[in-house]
Amino acid sequence: MPLKTVKRDTADALTLEWVLHVKRYKLTLDRKLCVGCQICSLACPKEAIKLQKQPKFPGEKAEHAKVDIDLEKCNFCGICDVLCPYGAIKVTVNGEHILAVVEKESFPQLIRDIQVDASKCGLDCIECEEACPLNLIEVTLTTDGKEIKNISSLTEEEKEKLQFNIDIKKEFCPCCRVCEFKCPDGVVRVRKIFYGKILIHPEKCPDGCRDCLDVCPITGALYISDADQKVRVNEMFCVYCGACKVVCPVDEAFEFKRMRISHTPVRSGAWNKALERLASPLEMTKELQAKSFQKTLESVEKRLAWRKP
Amino acid sequence: MAQEEKKKRAEAEEPRVGVFICHCGLNIAGVLDIKELIEYSKTLPNVVYVKDNRYTCADPGQEEIRKSIKENKLNRVVVAACSPRMHEPTFRRTVSEAGLNPFLFEMANIREFCSWCHSSTPKEATEKAKDLIKMAVAKVRLMRPLETMEVPVTNKALIVGGGIAGICTALDLAEMGFKVYLLEKGESIGGHMAQLDKTFPTLDCSICIEGPKMVDVSRHPNIEIISYADLLSVSGYVGNFKVKIRKNPRYVIAENCTGCSECKDVCPIEYPNEWDMSLGVRKAISVPFDQAVPLVYTINMDYCIECYKCVDACGARQAINFDQQPEEIELEVGAIIVTTGYDIYLPYDNPLYGYGKYANVITSLEFERLILAAGPTGGKVVRASDGQKPHSVAFIQCVGSRDINKYPYCSNFCCMYTLKHAIQLKEKYREDIEVYIFYMDMRSNFKGYEEFYQRARELGVNFIHGRVSRVFEVPETKNMIVHAEDMALGQPIEVETEMVVLATAAISKKGTEEMARILNLTCGADGFFMESHPKLKPIDTPTDGIFLAGACQGPKDIPYSVSQGSGVASRAATVLSKPTWKIEPIIAVVDPDKCRNTTTKCGICAQKCPYGAVKAEEGKPAQVIAAMCHGCGTCVAECPADAITQMHFTDAQIFAQIRAALETDPEDKILAFLCNWCSYAGADLAGTSRFEYPPTIRSIRVMCSGRVDRDFILEAFRRGAGMVLISGCHLPYDCHYISGNLRMKTRMDALAPMLQKLGLSPERFRVEFISAAEGVKFAEVVRDITEKMQALGGDRIKAENKKLRPVLENMLRRKKII
Repeated sequence: MPLKTVKRDTADALTLEWVLHVKRYKLTLDRKLCVGCQICSLACPKEAIKLQKQPKFPGEKAEHAKVDIDLEKCNFCGICDVLCPYGAIKVTVNGEHILAVVEKESFPQLIRDIQVDASKCGLDCIECEEACPLNLIEVTLTTDGKEIKNISSLTEEEKEKLQFNIDIKKEFCPCCRVCEFKCPDGVVRVRKIFYGKILIHPEKCPDGCRDCLDVCPITGALYISDADQKVRVNEMFCVYCGACKVVCPVDEAFEFKRMRISHTPVRSGAWNKALERLASPLEMTKELQAKSFQKTLESVEKRLAWRKP
Repeated sequence: MAQEEKKKRAEAEEPRVGVFICHCGLNIAGVLDIKELIEYSKTLPNVVYVKDNRYTCADPGQEEIRKSIKENKLNRVVVAACSPRMHEPTFRRTVSEAGLNPFLFEMANIREFCSWCHSSTPKEATEKAKDLIKMAVAKVRLMRPLETMEVPVTNKALIVGGGIAGICTALDLAEMGFKVYLLEKGESIGGHMAQLDKTFPTLDCSICIEGPKMVDVSRHPNIEIISYADLLSVSGYVGNFKVKIRKNPRYVIAENCTGCSECKDVCPIEYPNEWDMSLGVRKAISVPFDQAVPLVYTINMDYCIECYKCVDACGARQAINFDQQPEEIELEVGAIIVTTGYDIYLPYDNPLYGYGKYANVITSLEFERLILAAGPTGGKVVRASDGQKPHSVAFIQCVGSRDINKYPYCSNFCCMYTLKHAIQLKEKYREDIEVYIFYMDMRSNFKGYEEFYQRARELGVNFIHGRVSRVFEVPETKNMIVHAEDMALGQPIEVETEMVVLATAAISKKGTEEMARILNLTCGADGFFMESHPKLKPIDTPTDGIFLAGACQGPKDIPYSVSQGSGVASRAATVLSKPTWKIEPIIAVVDPDKCRNTTTKCGICAQKCPYGAVKAEEGKPAQVIAAMCHGCGTCVAECPADAITQMHFTDAQIFAQIRAALETDPEDKILAFLCNWCSYAGADLAGTSRFEYPPTIRSIRVMCSGRVDRDFILEAFRRGAGMVLISGCHLPYDCHYISGNLRMKTRMDALAPMLQKLGLSPERFRVEFISAAEGVKFAEVVRDITEKMQALGGDRIKAENKKLRPVLENMLRRKKII
């Protein structure tokens, strides 16, 4: 069969396909998971991903930007898959989710540093499960491997034996730290993926505009100030995805910048370029400098190894 | 210097014309009154010597001419005998042996044009012969000595296209000792042949026999391969072409690349491999196939993500350079050989076969890549729908070819490769596979081909004679149901198979038209390049020094392409082996004082020249590049300022012929302009076939009908001509000067309504297209025009002419022609 290229766009998903006689490449964008942030469109090395701002109707909530991928330009490299903080994009080859860019160490993976110490969990507490703005956490209780639904019927002795399991769907987690903040017992500890800086200049915001707040997927990252009824940022929870900046009608209202992205170590030009676009050339240089410093350190240590006892 | 002086002296001298009248046995003398012709010729101006001869072309006849030139100090010679197409070269040699410039000679065609076609009216025929001699004398009086020019030849060749034809040409020319540049657009030479698995009828492996030749090319000291490069422009002329080429960036430095494939192994990106007809994939840094020549990797920037893993892998070899830029180079060559090959038609636009829609319908070239051991499936024939080996395969012939709605021609090699595929399947899977071939005609007409067909029959291939009407898919099994008409049974049949293979048409290469523009070639209606002559110049092009070989001229199999490759090498060597190239002096020359291009933006001549031989730069007078000019005279007729002259066919000479022809009783005569290659030859044929037609016509020979100026027509009617005929080669492709006939037609289509408005009856001015084979048509046309002339009657014609004359005189006076 000749090369068949397929593009299907539905309300639920956007699918791109290369169907060859011996191989089948498929990219699926889950529209339910996508928040219309900038990450994939900035990261794509082929500039195949474009964001389309959606029209806003008075009296309705703003809709997040819609992602469109150009089948002509897409090369199914999977970089968008790797970088999507919400895990909305999947690239598969012959149905298997194996990314050559990761396998061949051409591109790093994001580090979702989430540590859970369930032994500290307080009884009857499901704060994290309720707090997670993306509903990725499920708290279960087990005794001897059996799931317990209702703890009120248990005896004290049985309650002692209870085990807490906190199940977090990591691949969809943008690491906003809301769960960590809400947890009373310090069970969950989250490090962010993206670090950055975000600031809203309320004087530039149009009156009554809530567009950014409407599209922000993280509850609590943006809030309305009581003083002037305008939107403010809580940097504690912000994941620096940029969905808000995309929909903002006033260019100067947002000061937004990504600075560091925590990722597995890798030596790759493609990553440097992606970092340059996602953060800034300066941040990219910083990372390269840090890397070269690390390398120098290693080589010095190697040379001086004989001195050490 | 001496020659210059001699030329000047010849020009200054008073013409002394000698007329030699040939009896041609009884061929001429049997009809015409030779004595009367002799007496008549003596009365013509500047004629100082007249002699008749039984056979002028025989040795004594020629000796007679040589002797007379010396004894009578003749400086112009007219031979009234047969057609100049027959003996002009002979007599030119004769006069030059006597020390006369060969271009001071003219023939009057009184055999083919007179005695042979007017044998039943000898009296009128003799009158016509007188006119013909008069016209020849009038022309020869104004002739000027001309010198054949010579230009130096660069003895290097450029071959455009590195397929099997180009490879063979390159090797042959290089072996002859010429430097050869082999230009290839793709990453590797090899062409379609390198894509094939086995070759018919011997079933030897294609790359095994082509590979060594490709290596020979890369190792030959006389051959330089320029791959991954485009031809940008070609200027110059035979022996002296200047070629501009753009080398596209591979992002890999060819000198440093060792072809080790380490970069490929680390590359994470894959893309559909066009070499595999997109059945499989290749890496963003890769070679199209393992035997590629030159073995240099290429990065496809459309897919590369620039992770630089390849740079790390290449390491100290440092062959990868992401900053590589396109590079333009200029070459000088003496000959260009075009071997650009063909493309395969992909029948997406034909819904009958379901190609692109059904997974298990593929083309033959895709099948070739499937069955090839080095292909994407490792030689396993599998279905795209489920990856399983099919148990039955249907081959459908003539998809696109021999189809009047698509490509009317036969693609030449499809029957044979389908037989090959059928035999391969049968031999590979034995009883486990059923093969059907749906065909219109099985064409196996070369050495060993018919035996190959028999072999397929013996292996149990099912041949079904009939055209396929429709192919459907069974949705559950993804099998195909082929609906066809079985001509043997005389009824429609249905066959269910697990795979369908389409033998699609071979079509002209994408970009052929662009290539034709760059090289000044023409394409036929089928889109392939046109050869100069289908029989006698099958690998020449109308442009001197540019040749064709292989499938770019029409679909060809491997042996045919190889032999054309070798043939074209010898044709190119005829140019390359000479230190200089001779050019006929019958070319156009611009008078810089008259040219309007100096003051206005004219450039009409440059636009109309079929060969791009005229250069008209702004503010400078136009210039004819002598070596590129073919001497059709189209620019001469088009020039609004009459600033261009064609040597040997000057305006003055043709006007003299017109005036001589119409001196007496013009209203009873047809004045005709015939192009040398088709219509003049057609008229000759009418004579040699002894077709009789009325002796009313007086023909003037021009090299191309494009030479016929509007002013010639005006002058003819001013002189009172009864009828005027212009005849050229058939439209659109027969013209020997590419498009001279078309230019003539456009010009005359504009002139005719104007003449009619002035009061000329429309039938009195006629444009015809008569080929060299149409003697019958020529005789018919003359008969028809004569009848119309007689129907109009002399009085009406005279009255019309009287009315026309003052207007025409005004027009011609304005142009300072009278």
